[in-house]
Amino acid sequence: MKLEIHDLEKSYGKKEVLKDVNFTFEDGKIYGLLGRNGAGKTTFFNALNSDITVDNGRFYLEDEFGKNKLKTTDIGYVVSTPTVPEFLTGREFLKFYVDINKDKREDLKDMDYYFDLVKLNREDQDILLKEYSHGMKNKIQILVNMIANPKIILLDEPLTSLDIVVQEDMKKLLKGLKENHIIIFSTHILELATDLCDEIVVISNKNLELIPKSNLNSKKYKDKIIQALKEDNND
Amino acid sequence: MINALVKTLQIDLDYSVNSFIYILSKLPVLRDLITNDIYKSKTIKRIVGFLGILFSIARAAFLKFMYFFVILFICYKLFPNQIIQAFFHMYFLLTILGLFINNKLLNTSKKKYFSIIIFNMDATAFLRANLFWNLLTNMIMNMICIYLFVDYLLLSPTIIYSIILVLFTLGARLVGEMLNIMFFRKYHYIWYTNNSLYFPIVVGLVGACFLPYLNLMIPFKVLLGFMVLFLLLGIPAFIYILKIEDYKLIYKRLTQMTNVMDSKNEKDYLKQAMVDVKEKDKKIDSSILEKKEGYDLFNAIFFERHKEILLRSARKYSVIIVIVYGILAYMMTHYANYNQSIGEFLHVKLATFVIIMFFINRGSIITQAMFFNCDHAMLRYNFYRDPNVIVELFKKRLLTVTKVNLLPAFVIGIGNTILLLISNHSYSMISIMTSFLFIICLSVFFSVHYLVIYYLLQPFNKEMEVKRASYSFVTLCTYIISYWISGIILSSEVLSILGIVFSLFYIGLSLLLVYKVSPRTFKLY
Repeated sequence: MKLEIHDLEKSYGKKEVLKDVNFTFEDGKIYGLLGRNGAGKTTFFNALNSDITVDNGRFYLEDEFGKNKLKTTDIGYVVSTPTVPEFLTGREFLKFYVDINKDKREDLKDMDYYFDLVKLNREDQDILLKEYSHGMKNKIQILVNMIANPKIILLDEPLTSLDIVVQEDMKKLLKGLKENHIIIFSTHILELATDLCDEIVVISNKNLELIPKSNLNSKKYKDKIIQALKEDNND
Repeated sequence: MINALVKTLQIDLDYSVNSFIYILSKLPVLRDLITNDIYKSKTIKRIVGFLGILFSIARAAFLKFMYFFVILFICYKLFPNQIIQAFFHMYFLLTILGLFINNKLLNTSKKKYFSIIIFNMDATAFLRANLFWNLLTNMIMNMICIYLFVDYLLLSPTIIYSIILVLFTLGARLVGEMLNIMFFRKYHYIWYTNNSLYFPIVVGLVGACFLPYLNLMIPFKVLLGFMVLFLLLGIPAFIYILKIEDYKLIYKRLTQMTNVMDSKNEKDYLKQAMVDVKEKDKKIDSSILEKKEGYDLFNAIFFERHKEILLRSARKYSVIIVIVYGILAYMMTHYANYNQSIGEFLHVKLATFVIIMFFINRGSIITQAMFFNCDHAMLRYNFYRDPNVIVELFKKRLLTVTKVNLLPAFVIGIGNTILLLISNHSYSMISIMTSFLFIICLSVFFSVHYLVIYYLLQPFNKEMEVKRASYSFVTLCTYIISYWISGIILSSEVLSILGIVFSLFYIGLSLLLVYKVSPRTFKLY
């Protein structure tokens, strides 16, 4: 499975954020999307997810059925500030999600299985999502994306504000998900990216650049990434 | 203190100027002309700043002017024989009301937040500077308005009354600020966020303003006595405020409550608080949800969790309506003149119910709850934006919203039927039945209308602010048209038939529109 991006361009007023972006993402990999503040990571995600109109660009998904235009239903988007319907309890939200997806998926498990995956306590499952902490909401967001099973999962800095234990849990979850999915994960934290991701893509100078890892040790690889980031003239 | 005042005014001005330029840069034609370099230009900033100062002075003066004008206008229209007394009566009570609701020291704003929290200014100096500035500007405006309206127009006998009025307002404001801070220190919240305190005081004082209508008025001398009392109490209140040392702490606590730096304003927070899930709705009777799944379940839980603001309030309305109709029925059966006039009213002024149904309909608050507590989050999920899902959920919601609103409509319809039946004038069964149907139709009409405009003109952005004027405009037009129709005098048969035909046409058309257009319009901006 491949996600192809052709000639993507996006400006805000006179400020060009993305220009002539051509890139291909493949399944079975977690891509770490690194970029300096304001480099355009969220803009890139929003463009893929049709949350913003782009000035130019075409997106295609190539899978066993052929190459088709990317549909928003192919994408699961976990935003940095988790948004969940606050009038539902965690269990109700999950049940709703299982209900609406059961026609599309035969391999859905029962809800306790999913709660166990993210280690959400029994008592927390039955309180309103409004009362959930940031981390708990994040877990729920990732869970519903697992249930909906979209082909592409975009994660906009999902682990940045989580505690270390939750971060580790989430990393395991994401690694388990990468088979048959294209996961693109944006972050500011270099260690997180090199630790979790199979490929590092840097947004710099309004474009995406894959940083190959070939034969580099961890230190040299990091230096190379930082060098690529420094080349960004967006400031 | 002067230094603090100058600094806050400077921050205030810079903030206003930059915000104004930012808004300009987002406008259709100007956005292509304005670049970020404009923020560097001192000349442009000076010009905008100067215009800003002029505008804010003009705005404050206009509001103050209107305040006096409206009071005098009401006095002139309602109590033409005792304008001066009625004016003093109203002005006194409204100032007391202002003492409760118009506090400057406890309100939160971004500008205040910048000064106290971000720039870490001396909070006590800030408090004093702001208090001083507020009192001074207010006093000057009051003096001008009192001179214009009270002395010049009313030809008040002595200047002493005007001085008392100005100083009383000053004193009352100081007492108000002091009481609000005392209350906050003791109970850790601002009293007017508690509805059980707020409504009785506001309704009581506003209601008391109209006592002259019943020939009841606070005696002039008593009024003067109270005014002098407040004027004197202003002195200890002033001292109390000057002695406040923990303003920074108070302000920090306030900002934690309202989350100032979020781009929403306080009003948006209050709106959100209004549709919050209430404690007693958190637990749902599981038997209600047992057989439901998917979107049915989702919709059912939404309405169960908002029972307090939707169903229970419709029930409360219904109880009040029953009581009103009970009183009307009693009047009709015991007094012949009421029997005739109420019967006639229902027959030829049935159109009045258009505005009544407009106010009774819960559509506006239901859509607010839908957005704040549900759609705001759900619209970020791609499946929820699928056209089929939008239309399917719309249908389910429409059914539930219509049901909620039908309860008070039925009570009104049946009430009207009973009143027409006990009227001495025998109205035809057709007339009675069509007027019943008219009320039901109105209820369905408003239910559809609110939901349709919400789906077609979804007015909120991701930050939950109302960003599209078209929604507010349509709501305002709905009110104006409803008000206008309410004045129509037409026999109930003709009106009902016209109303029913129009409603059915409108409902059909708007449903068609929602099915066709809402997948494109129902999204976050």
